[in-house]
Amino acid sequence: MKRFLARQLARLTIGLCGAVLVAVALSAITEPRPRNLPAYLLAVLDRLHHLAQGDLGHSAISGLPVLTELIQHLPPTLLLLVAGAGVALAAGLPLGILFAFGSLRRAAAPIMQIVTATPVFCAGLALAFGASEILHWPVGFASRTGLAASPEEALRLAVLPIATVGLAGAGAVQLALRRSAARSAAASFRGGLRRLGLGGFEIELFYVLPQIFAGLIASAGDIVLALVSAAVVAEWVFHRDGAADLFVKSVALADWNMTAVILFAVAALTIVASFLGRVLGFLLARGQTS
Amino acid sequence: MMESGPLLELSGVSLMRGGETILDRLSFRLAAGEKLVVLGEAGAGKDALLRILGGFAAAGDTVSGTIRYAGGPPVPASSRQRANLRVAYLPNPLSQPLAPHGSVLKQLTRVVSRQLRAPSGSAREDLRLALEQLPGGVTLPMLDTTPDNLDPLTQAIALLACVAAQTPDLVLANSAVADLGPRAVKLLLEALDATQKRLGFALIFATGGLQPATRLGGRVLVLRGGRVVEEGSAERLLSGHAHAYTRRLFEALPRLKTGVPKPRGAVRGQPLLQVHNLAFGGESAGRDGLTFELRRGAALALVGEPGSGREALMRLVLGFDPAPKGCVLFDAVDLNVLSVAMAARIRRRIAFITGRDDTLDPRMTLYDTVEEPLRAHLNLTGELVAGYRDTALKRVGLASHDGKRRVATLSVFDKRRLQVARAIVGAPLLVVIDEALSGLDAHAQNILREVLIDFRSHQDPTFLVVTSDFTIAQALAEDAMVFEAGKLVERGAIAHLVHAPKHEATKALIEAVSLPTLSSDERGLSHGPGSV
Amino acid sequence: MTRNPTIIGNILRGLGWFGLALFLITMFLSDFLAHAPAGMEFAGTELGPPSDAHPFGTDMLGRDVLSETLHGLAETGRLAMWAALVAIVLGGLFGAIAARLPRPLALTLRGLFGVLGTIPPLLLAIVIVGLTDHLFVAVAAGFGAAPLGFVRAFDRIDLHSAHSDYALATGIPSLSLLQRDLTYDFRHVFLTVIARALTAVTIIVSTASFLGFGAEPPARDLGLIIAAAKINHFTAWWTAVFPGLALILFILCARLAAGLEEGERA
Repeated sequence: MKRFLARQLARLTIGLCGAVLVAVALSAITEPRPRNLPAYLLAVLDRLHHLAQGDLGHSAISGLPVLTELIQHLPPTLLLLVAGAGVALAAGLPLGILFAFGSLRRAAAPIMQIVTATPVFCAGLALAFGASEILHWPVGFASRTGLAASPEEALRLAVLPIATVGLAGAGAVQLALRRSAARSAAASFRGGLRRLGLGGFEIELFYVLPQIFAGLIASAGDIVLALVSAAVVAEWVFHRDGAADLFVKSVALADWNMTAVILFAVAALTIVASFLGRVLGFLLARGQTS
Repeated sequence: MMESGPLLELSGVSLMRGGETILDRLSFRLAAGEKLVVLGEAGAGKDALLRILGGFAAAGDTVSGTIRYAGGPPVPASSRQRANLRVAYLPNPLSQPLAPHGSVLKQLTRVVSRQLRAPSGSAREDLRLALEQLPGGVTLPMLDTTPDNLDPLTQAIALLACVAAQTPDLVLANSAVADLGPRAVKLLLEALDATQKRLGFALIFATGGLQPATRLGGRVLVLRGGRVVEEGSAERLLSGHAHAYTRRLFEALPRLKTGVPKPRGAVRGQPLLQVHNLAFGGESAGRDGLTFELRRGAALALVGEPGSGREALMRLVLGFDPAPKGCVLFDAVDLNVLSVAMAARIRRRIAFITGRDDTLDPRMTLYDTVEEPLRAHLNLTGELVAGYRDTALKRVGLASHDGKRRVATLSVFDKRRLQVARAIVGAPLLVVIDEALSGLDAHAQNILREVLIDFRSHQDPTFLVVTSDFTIAQALAEDAMVFEAGKLVERGAIAHLVHAPKHEATKALIEAVSLPTLSSDERGLSHGPGSV
Repeated sequence: MTRNPTIIGNILRGLGWFGLALFLITMFLSDFLAHAPAGMEFAGTELGPPSDAHPFGTDMLGRDVLSETLHGLAETGRLAMWAALVAIVLGGLFGAIAARLPRPLALTLRGLFGVLGTIPPLLLAIVIVGLTDHLFVAVAAGFGAAPLGFVRAFDRIDLHSAHSDYALATGIPSLSLLQRDLTYDFRHVFLTVIARALTAVTIIVSTASFLGFGAEPPARDLGLIIAAAKINHFTAWWTAVFPGLALILFILCARLAAGLEEGERA
């Protein structure tokens, strides 16, 4: 137990340090110095020095400190991610569990292939088309939507990006579930307990399901990766103001300070999510015994 | 409870699977409280028989024939209706029948509670009472942990308690004691026998080994290719009057030669393996180290129960684990001070034949597995390599196999023989034989033992045999060191040890593989009666 | 019952490869199949619905959508193939080799790629395009997908498997073990790896293009075509639907070809 936690903590720390280094290496490109290796390395050291003093640099576009910009733009994206994760779990869990068992698992595979073959931006456009044609909702394509007329309209505008992110997340959730189910499908205890006299349903409920959930939680990092990717696309397609949208613009305008900070935020999110996932998954698997 | 008449009556029960006949019109009766040992090789149909009787037919099984339960009307064998018969199942703990992440206690309580349709509290109490009746001193709190935290013997006792707690009419045991080590086997079989006598259930014990057949007594049914070859008491089968197949099986049964040892000359030859003052066995930091020497052409057995320290010593000697103290010289060189590349050159003269099935790369083909040692070290032409390979495969009896088959698709026995072939091509100086016969049925064990003896007489390598079975030690080695609880307790020539064991552990190990009640019936065999 | 799914699986895999082959032929012959060269505008037919002259309709500049889709498909396919090559070499192959390198070096590489793997491949690809040039979108997508491939290949190699332990103890050099990994693993999963990498990088390439970090006009890939159609896809659905369908079909074929059991995260 302690060893496991210590190892996971070490992984977390190393991961975060690595992410910091990557971010610093990226932001050092901004430095107005000749582009040769020694100068670049000096710039990296310089950046690290600044970082140690709490100075993350300024955005090249707005001139504001990057931290201020990030604090401004991160909440809507996080909200989008959390809401998307909620949709992903709500849609992905029942489907995943339904498809995780028995013959449905194999029968569902081709259908899942088709569904998951759709790139997020195509799905987003299709959702937008459907919403506007069938539900006659306003879809914020052309204008900035920060200035929605009423709370109701703001909510309507928020639904589509959330649905897009949620769909992408649901794909990742059910993939993780199916993977974890495939792993436990071959386990010897299924036949063993059956022969000892337990019913099939009992075995699934008490011994297989917790394993599948532990597997799902342990792959939290993968799900976050899918959600973040989808958020970038969703914010761009639906013109939402957020960190992901800011990221795309920063890269396009070569604002490497801003890019580095957002990249670090994303990486940190994934690293922390997979750390928590692994620890929770471990505890869940252990919780059964005590 | 039961009406008079047989508990079970099978008539014409067959099982087909994918066009292949697994069980061929099997008919027999089983009286209430009777013991029946079903003996057969892997694939003889033992498992299929238990599948039918237990009502857990696998997908793809086609079952025909009828079964009468407890004097009732005949019902189709494929029906899952078990009449009012309480059937319990006793698996082998090594087949991992329990969920690895759940508590053993909870799982077994759940099984008992479901079988007895009793609340979990009373099921737990039943389990506790059943445990008290069994040897080994296993208690309920000990079982409240995952299966991998328990040693196989404890698990086996727990599973047996689970069976006893169900107060069944019929118990189906599937190779329940195979590969658990001779002392554990003896303990479990005696416990099973006592429980059976106490509760009076009928027992069907499917096994590939001969130990249960000779120890449990009762009726023996010899199955081969889905048919009954022979039926009778163990005593009769052991006598010369049995069917040729059975006779061969029993004749090859290894027996300890306990006669007065003949004096033998000392082994000449250069020392191959020298161990000086080696500390082993984990927490034994302060203890005196172990010193011994193994000469070329000699054979030494490290005998002991699993976990007694023999494996730890083997791993230290061969450099799997770093030695905390002492030194090991192989061919007068300390492998640990050499560079990896240099050590590899010397290590190629070491070969392993183990009872584990994951020591061969499952991705490789049969041919590649045998050729790899040749190709890795020697710059031979393809023809020469193929020649060596074919000779080795012929010697272990794998020559007729398709060489492009992947190791993963081979049977356990074939993998074991493939290990021997891989060892043979390397012309090793030292062959480590680590429980190489475990997991095999009696027939396969006999063949593999012959193959190993033949290997030794042909190439004269040094053997280091790790085993818990004195019969194997005697067949493959001359000297032995006996281990118990991480300590060396006795050493000497095997013939002397077997004739006059001094330490309790040695006596127990020898007693565990002796067949006292039956040896007097042996006919035409030149061995004396078993010790004890 | 146990054999059926594998038969279905094999049929579907075959279908996937067949579809990929058809796509490949279409890409090579795109100049012949398309009745208008890339970017040719038919004046006066802007946003025309599907008709005999333009089966897929025309876009806002009067370009034939069918021809544009075919050219776009060729461009996407070309980019995806390069990207897949980069992803396989830098990801899978390098990962498999790195696992057998001396331990400290192997762990350092694993740590580096592990950190890069926590950044979504799409974001990584965008950053690389931003740092270099739009010409490098294929390489960038390959780089973006590589960390995950590297980590997967690296972790797939079980250093502490009993068979490698025993092989080393009998003096088999680690080079032979690497050879085992490459010949057996790679040979058996090679086609699957190609199809999987193709799936992942196609999605990355087209999404990056859609966001404006991909092919630059006049070369237009499907992502860019769909991005251009985004503004008027409510009124002129054909401008987005046909390229979108072509893209989805292509990814679907690659996915089917990769096998059914697990998909690739996109």
